[in-house]
Amino acid sequence: MNSHDVTVAGYAMIASAGMGLEVLAHRAGSRIPSLRRVFRHLMQSRSGRVGVVAAWAWLGMHYFVR
Amino acid sequence: MTEPDPVGSIGNEAAGRRGDELSGHDETQRAFLTTAREPILIAIFLLAGIFDLLSGDPIVHGAALFAIAGALAFDATIGRREEPTARPAVVRPALSPTLVVLAVAYAVFIGSFARYSWPSSLAVVAVGAAGVAIAWRRPIGPDPDPTLLDPAGTMAWVGVFVVLALWELSALLLQPSLTTASQAHPTISTLMDPVLATHLGRSITLVLWLAFGWFLVDP
Repeated sequence: MNSHDVTVAGYAMIASAGMGLEVLAHRAGSRIPSLRRVFRHLMQSRSGRVGVVAAWAWLGMHYFVR
Repeated sequence: MTEPDPVGSIGNEAAGRRGDELSGHDETQRAFLTTAREPILIAIFLLAGIFDLLSGDPIVHGAALFAIAGALAFDATIGRREEPTARPAVVRPALSPTLVVLAVAYAVFIGSFARYSWPSSLAVVAVGAAGVAIAWRRPIGPDPDPTLLDPAGTMAWVGVFVVLALWELSALLLQPSLTTASQAHPTISTLMDPVLATHLGRSITLVLWLAFGWFLVDP
């Protein structure tokens, strides 16, 4: 297993952790909020909403814009 | 002589006091989170802008991040605060087959252009700018679920995103230089390069990007 594989495995583990949290969040009585609820809470102010949407817009810009 | 308290009214009063205390605690926590949210967001955008410039991305990418931080700082300090009912709420229209077809057509057409070409640049900037404009102008409506998030559960999500940021940062710092991509320590952008080198990969990425933007209109 070389360093490339280790790095990719790290990303995969983080993604798996996120998916695991989302699954746990949907269990009855869970204290973990769903990702939708976290976003909704974060976007309850204008600064939060603009920040999140600007990050999304920047992501598209990063991958496609000159 | 005092009658016994079979229904536990004293207990109820105590519970009420506890409720008041919890409510006060919740309010304090909510006020702290509201106050801390803006400086944290601004700091995140400033840091992202610094590392984006250091990594050799086009200056306009880093400048956009600094501009967002500046706009948020302006809004938090001297910007005009609007009343929640000043404008009608932006309601996300239902996801119809027409919208899906339009989104796929956009992704297929724009994905046919090379990355960083002018057509793809203009198309993505137009959609992104429209999203930010909607977010900026949209009134703050009532929270459909005003209860506070559980701190431990929220920290679990914060942990995932912080670890992701640190992992990405470590990959960036382990490159031969900040401006030279490394297959040994790939960043997410480096991993995406082969995907975005094909028409199909660009189109799928654009569809996912549009879908996430759609979700953010009304999460």
